[in-house]
Amino acid sequence: MLGDDTIIEVLEVRGQTVRIGIDAPRAVPVYREEIWLEVKRENQAAAEAAASSDLPDFPK
Amino acid sequence: MSLTIESSRFGRVEIEPETVLEFPEGLIGLGGSRYALLGDDPDAPFLWLQSLDDPSLALPVTNPHRFFEGFAVEVVDEDVERLGLDGSGAMDVYVTVRAAPVLEDFTANLKAPILVRAGQAYQVINQAPGCDLRAPLFAAPDGDTAPDGSDSAC
Repeated sequence: MLGDDTIIEVLEVRGQTVRIGIDAPRAVPVYREEIWLEVKRENQAAAEAAASSDLPDFPK
Repeated sequence: MSLTIESSRFGRVEIEPETVLEFPEGLIGLGGSRYALLGDDPDAPFLWLQSLDDPSLALPVTNPHRFFEGFAVEVVDEDVERLGLDGSGAMDVYVTVRAAPVLEDFTANLKAPILVRAGQAYQVINQAPGCDLRAPLFAAPDGDTAPDGSDSAC
């Protein structure tokens, strides 16, 4: 699975051979987008839950 | 050189430099790259990851080994390479905690643990099988699960 920043380009077609280039930023791990989204949502939920004044005292 | 911030949760806090963590890639989906790990009780199960870029952003975190026996982190090769995980040097692992009005509903994110080494931190996707995004931390009062260990495969 490739993310939004990854581009696949057909470089050359010669007979039965197709050369393709894959341009993915090296620094970006290619996670499945849905996992990334669910983690993002969980991070946001954790931040929101923490900001809520409705919390019991954290157990020591 | 210590730093003082105005945290929405804690008010004015003096940040010790050794508690500052740089997240070169940030937390997944959240802004900011600098956080401080706050907690004055070394035996307390929870610490706070306080954003230094956004005073209103703070997340509770915990050491997953305190609650989940056999917890393991597996990362894809790409992460090993990118983060320099060559096995040398100790790494600390934290997981974010989603608090709730009742303790039984507190959960930890075992799927996206935070690896820390020498002031650098990364939130990675855990490839170990059975990792819950929302793993309960505490047993229900009438449950039969031991309170200090769940049978999570992760």
